[in-house]
Amino acid sequence: MNQADVTKLISQLRIAVRPSQRNLKNSDGPEGRLLKLRKTVTALMKHERIELYYNRADEARGYAELVRIISNGYNISSLHSIPIPKQLISNAIRHGDRHKATMELADYWLLEKQLVHKLFKVLVPRYENYNVSYTRMYRAPRDYPGMYYRQSVLELRGNPYPSLVMDQSHNRNLLHNVLLDEARKEFRRKKLADLVN
Amino acid sequence: MVKFIKMNVSRAMSKRWAQQCVFNRIVTFSTKPTQHAAAVSEPAAEQKTVSTPAAAAAQPATTTPAPTTARKPIVPSNYRFIYPEFLPDPKVEWRNPIREKLERLDMLDRRRQIDLPEFYVGSIMAVTSSDPHAAGKTSRFVGICINRDRCGLRSRFVLRNVIDHQGMEVVYELYDPTIQKVEVLRLEKRLDDNLFYLRDALPEYSTFDENMEAEHLEEGAPVPVNDIKVVLRPRPWLERWERQNLLGVANIDQYIKDKHRKSAERVQKPWEKFDMMKQYRSTIPEEEQKEVFAEVHTELHSMELQRKRNKRKRTFVKPKQLA
Repeated sequence: MNQADVTKLISQLRIAVRPSQRNLKNSDGPEGRLLKLRKTVTALMKHERIELYYNRADEARGYAELVRIISNGYNISSLHSIPIPKQLISNAIRHGDRHKATMELADYWLLEKQLVHKLFKVLVPRYENYNVSYTRMYRAPRDYPGMYYRQSVLELRGNPYPSLVMDQSHNRNLLHNVLLDEARKEFRRKKLADLVN
Repeated sequence: MVKFIKMNVSRAMSKRWAQQCVFNRIVTFSTKPTQHAAAVSEPAAEQKTVSTPAAAAAQPATTTPAPTTARKPIVPSNYRFIYPEFLPDPKVEWRNPIREKLERLDMLDRRRQIDLPEFYVGSIMAVTSSDPHAAGKTSRFVGICINRDRCGLRSRFVLRNVIDHQGMEVVYELYDPTIQKVEVLRLEKRLDDNLFYLRDALPEYSTFDENMEAEHLEEGAPVPVNDIKVVLRPRPWLERWERQNLLGVANIDQYIKDKHRKSAERVQKPWEKFDMMKQYRSTIPEEEQKEVFAEVHTELHSMELQRKRNKRKRTFVKPKQLA
């Protein structure tokens, strides 16, 4: 029975979070795990869509989401369901401190410094009004014969690439398409009848 | 259209009646949907009542009373510091939403019976509890709170004092029914999350007078942080304090050797402040906290008001002895 740590207030992630972390295989221990994930997060921010092993992608995903939430949450109140009055937030010292902490985090997690600018100038405005998670993960086929590890694709939402999943909305067997077809037919029939009369 | 509005009104009324009739406990289980439904159907009801408030008062059977709208409670942001035990366990495997909810109800029930004031690690408290072996069947222990842990009904705290040159610690469960009274004699915080290092400090730092009087803190004033630096006695210690980055200890460097310094440096984990997922897993997310406190806020707030009223009464009645 632990007591929740109340010193930090973090917004809820919109992804499923595992109860415990995976210790990614590396020789440097817990620090090496973060150093590894740092590379993944940087690559994700840079390329917006990457293909990698499932475990590493799943671990990196939470960090990528949290980098975004933290960079988002401290200057915009859009993440809070009830907007907090400005006076409350802009307690000068606290805000400055927070801002500094955010920059420190971004500095640690993004190895290329131009990506810090991208984070604050491109990604934060992009996700300002998002109600879903900021990243998306797909299971990818593993190559055979080859490494047995599961493959995955990790991407930022709203990236410029074509979608990876097929657009099924034009399938003629979908109920709303069936109904639309019937409505169209009926309209044509009506028009024909009008023409005849 | 009129029919539609009427239907809405009657639905809102039935909702409200249902809310009033249903036993209080059960309502707390389903606060969210009912409140939401009431809020949704409210505009339709208001359209009728607002224009003729007198008529509404005259015939309460046909129109709903407008002023008792389901207003969203504004939960103060410091509730998570005052009532951390209301937040569920951050360990996902041990979560059980129904048990947590029932526990919260029980905690509120207990708080209705006994005044459990706000306190922090570092506050000086007096706890009176039933004790079959004591002379008057009760025992009162005064001490400094050195730790708070566990959540829900099992939440507990440790009080420490030095009595007859002997360090004493008592672990109290906050919601233990044998506790009769909890007083906070001095409300303050310390620099560290727990004060276990007082066990290795000189006894004067954990010695408190048993007949100490409660100190009055002004209403609305922030809880003062006592930045006292404790002086440790020489080694051997109960724990390796040099490894714990303690803020409230003055003289660790005096007693440790180079090898201790080196080993302390080796076990530091400076990367942990960047491990956001670790922090995330050790906390309850903001949205969930809001939900929990929205559920218990009204009760807790009314209890706070009652406490304030009692305090004022007491201070007014008590005559002062002069000279």
